[in-house]
Amino acid sequence: MSAAVTVNGREHELEPGETVERLLERLGLGARYALVERNGDPVERAAYESVELAPGDTLVVARPVAGG
Amino acid sequence: MDDVLTIAGREFSSRLITGTGKYETFELMRDAVVASGCEMVTVAVRRIDLDAGDEANILDFLPEDVLLLPNTAGCETAEEAVRVARLARAGGLPDWVKLEVIPDPRHLLPDPVETLRAAEILVEDGFTVLPYMLPDPVLARRLAEVGCATVMPLAAPIGTGRGLKLRDSIRIMVEEAEVPVVVDAGLGAPSHAAEAMELGADAVLVNTAIARADDPVTMARAFRLAVEAGRAGHLAGVMDEQATAQPSSPVGGLVTQP
Repeated sequence: MSAAVTVNGREHELEPGETVERLLERLGLGARYALVERNGDPVERAAYESVELAPGDTLVVARPVAGG
Repeated sequence: MDDVLTIAGREFSSRLITGTGKYETFELMRDAVVASGCEMVTVAVRRIDLDAGDEANILDFLPEDVLLLPNTAGCETAEEAVRVARLARAGGLPDWVKLEVIPDPRHLLPDPVETLRAAEILVEDGFTVLPYMLPDPVLARRLAEVGCATVMPLAAPIGTGRGLKLRDSIRIMVEEAEVPVVVDAGLGAPSHAAEAMELGADAVLVNTAIARADDPVTMARAFRLAVEAGRAGHLAGVMDEQATAQPSSPVGGLVTQP
């Protein structure tokens, strides 16, 4: 099986050297509002473009929504 | 009159905080936020639906000068709340958090033990913590002691619009408060907000009562005026109730006296 990461419970193929920012772009999410957790740890926004993902990583991608 | 609300060193001229949930559209939400005059709004944090495509985001509709207050709604334990707060901050949202730990889906009442535990962790981690709580003066003191910036007692269960059902407990909290008291949840009418402010609350947080009004923008303005009226009434000193009637006109010199 090729390299993959899990994003919000679903598997996605991983490109070699793919960063958080690149993955968000490829998923059509745009990094501007995305909040990212990698293997249970929050990823700092400033690190989206530098953090390289590894096969088997589990990501949660969230965003702000309306709420009280 | 220079009457500012100070929370964690930040000054607010408005004592109304609004929630952004339950509006029909983001445009309506924005117009109501502007009409309310509020300077702080709550937002929630949720997983992105990867199938939904590039949806509009709420942040594009909020005025730039309004402080975002991410909440931990949906969290049932301290660990879950800490996780959400840290995710929001890492992603660029403010390090302020409306701490909600609510294990009870029927009445949406907060867990005081988990809330206190989460508050301690978050304060230690550098967050400005505004905890949602039952109006319990002892818990309020404990939350202030661990460094919470406010205490936020509910007036009545979330979304019920029943007003100051827990008035007596809130009054004690206000009398003993070491940090600002923000009455949060359960206010259904502008008069409820005015009543909370007359009682001495430092601010109120309103969502459903505005968002679900027939005309949310006008209701936002009504709450703004009610909060201002209630605050002014509190500062002016509300009269003591009397057991018997007291005439307002002179009792002597009646035209009709013999």
